[in-house]
Amino acid sequence: MSFIAFNPEDSVISSDVSISPMWTGNVTTLTTFHSSSTQEASTPGKFYLDVYQTSSSDSSAEIQFSIAYGHVSGSGSAYFNPSIIDKTPTRDIYGQFRTLLYGDENTNITFGSSVNTSKDIIVLSINRARFKESFNPGSITLTLATGSNVLKLTDDSTVTSTATYIGTCRVYQLLSGSFDSVFSSNYTVSGSYGLMIPDEGLIILNPRALANPVGSLGGLNVTWNEDSSNTVASANPSFNYNNRKTFDLLKSGASFRLQNYETISSRYFFVRVKNADNNYTTNPTVIDSNGNLLYTSLIYNPQTFITTVGMYNNVGDLIAVAKLNKPLIKDFTKELLLRVKLDF
Amino acid sequence: MSYLNNQLVTIDAVLTKKGRELMARNDGSFQITQFALADDEIDYTLYNPTHPSGSAFFGEAIEKMPLLQAFTDDTQNLKYKLVTLPRGTSKLPVLNLGYTTVTLRQAAAINITPQTLNYLGAVSTFEPSGYLMTVGDSRFLSTFAGTGIDTTGLAISTTIPNSSGANLSRSQIGTSFSLIATTINTLFGTSALPGATITTTITVTGRDSGARITIPLTITKT
Repeated sequence: MSFIAFNPEDSVISSDVSISPMWTGNVTTLTTFHSSSTQEASTPGKFYLDVYQTSSSDSSAEIQFSIAYGHVSGSGSAYFNPSIIDKTPTRDIYGQFRTLLYGDENTNITFGSSVNTSKDIIVLSINRARFKESFNPGSITLTLATGSNVLKLTDDSTVTSTATYIGTCRVYQLLSGSFDSVFSSNYTVSGSYGLMIPDEGLIILNPRALANPVGSLGGLNVTWNEDSSNTVASANPSFNYNNRKTFDLLKSGASFRLQNYETISSRYFFVRVKNADNNYTTNPTVIDSNGNLLYTSLIYNPQTFITTVGMYNNVGDLIAVAKLNKPLIKDFTKELLLRVKLDF
Repeated sequence: MSYLNNQLVTIDAVLTKKGRELMARNDGSFQITQFALADDEIDYTLYNPTHPSGSAFFGEAIEKMPLLQAFTDDTQNLKYKLVTLPRGTSKLPVLNLGYTTVTLRQAAAINITPQTLNYLGAVSTFEPSGYLMTVGDSRFLSTFAGTGIDTTGLAISTTIPNSSGANLSRSQIGTSFSLIATTINTLFGTSALPGATITTTITVTGRDSGARITIPLTITKT
């Protein structure tokens, strides 16, 4: 007999938290930002701009996140159809994230206090493969820069005792600071610098805060393209100006620090073998062609050397396999207890 | 007085190709209910019962062996299972299928009835719990069935070939097995002529003895 049944008490499920660097190559801080001119000029490029960690033509290039500017009235991009006004990519983006957050077509997105509703947003949507389950709150330092003006942002998880929610979305406000230090817990005159929604992999920046003059609790004096759709259409832009503007702020800042957070569910199996069990082997190197043991000393004092544990279903299908790092000796004087971990 | 080593050995398991298939199938077959141990990679000719340092060192060369990491091919793992036999056993069980190789033309059939030699004092016997037969690539057979053992409640899938069209293994339990070669030509390649062959393996394991044998299965295009 070679199969041994597991008893109910031989298996237990456990969950462990894994926190790891966000970006490709196990990098915590992204310092180089690249875009693809092909993607930017394509139809999706009118909605969002993909950001890579290296040149997009490089074989190792992977999308790290996407930038999408949204405006409640559709400003900043051309009409889909000149005869149908108000329907533009930026209007789509604003509506998309407003619905995602509020489930309400009339509520404008709010940054910080309730009076700071914003007509526009900039969304950094992190690639799903990068953020896994969620962001690790408190790990973010997002650096934006234009010229010599630098703005560092972090979330408020370290200065608030509980997370706030918009609907069912856990939300943190972006403040001036870095991951290890919040410079000021106060908001700008336009509200917070943005929102971090860790469980959906989203960072929503407040363009109004970034447009404020440079200074304490100020912005970067950014001028966004808020041209009416007619103006934009007549200008025939080949790219989304505001997405490009945000990309330039990130590229000049050259530092985007973030970690992901994942819960790994593991199942532990306890493999128990009694002293009288599994002391013989079907390994053909221990017998001759007639099945006789090669060594007479193994007849009454058999020894086996365990290398592998196989986990089976009722039918005998091998579902999982585990290997030891060195052979483990088993004989009639030894009992065995191994813990086998299976991750999901 | 010194401390006893109370460390529990923890090892990581990986899902096999078969395990992933069963998980995706979501029909209840992905349930780990039993385990087996094996000594794959061990060469017992390294065992030295004349070691000058005594019996504690007979297996020295084996115990120092580095082992490979686990791989996911379920047909290549747990080849040599450990078995429980009465102390004093001098002759280990081996399987006899009546064939050392199986070659079938397309649509041809064969029945295989395994026997176990040197088991429980008998020269040749049929194991009460039957045998587990695994075909390495189930696409090669249009029919693959085991008879003689009540497998009610074991959730054996009888879908042949597998609906995914992938080269996945399939197992059956029985005391006798019937196999019919596939009539599907595409497995031989687009330009294969009559006489072309494809090969996989049949592995049979005694469910009581743990004895195991693997033989090649070759299908010839007609």
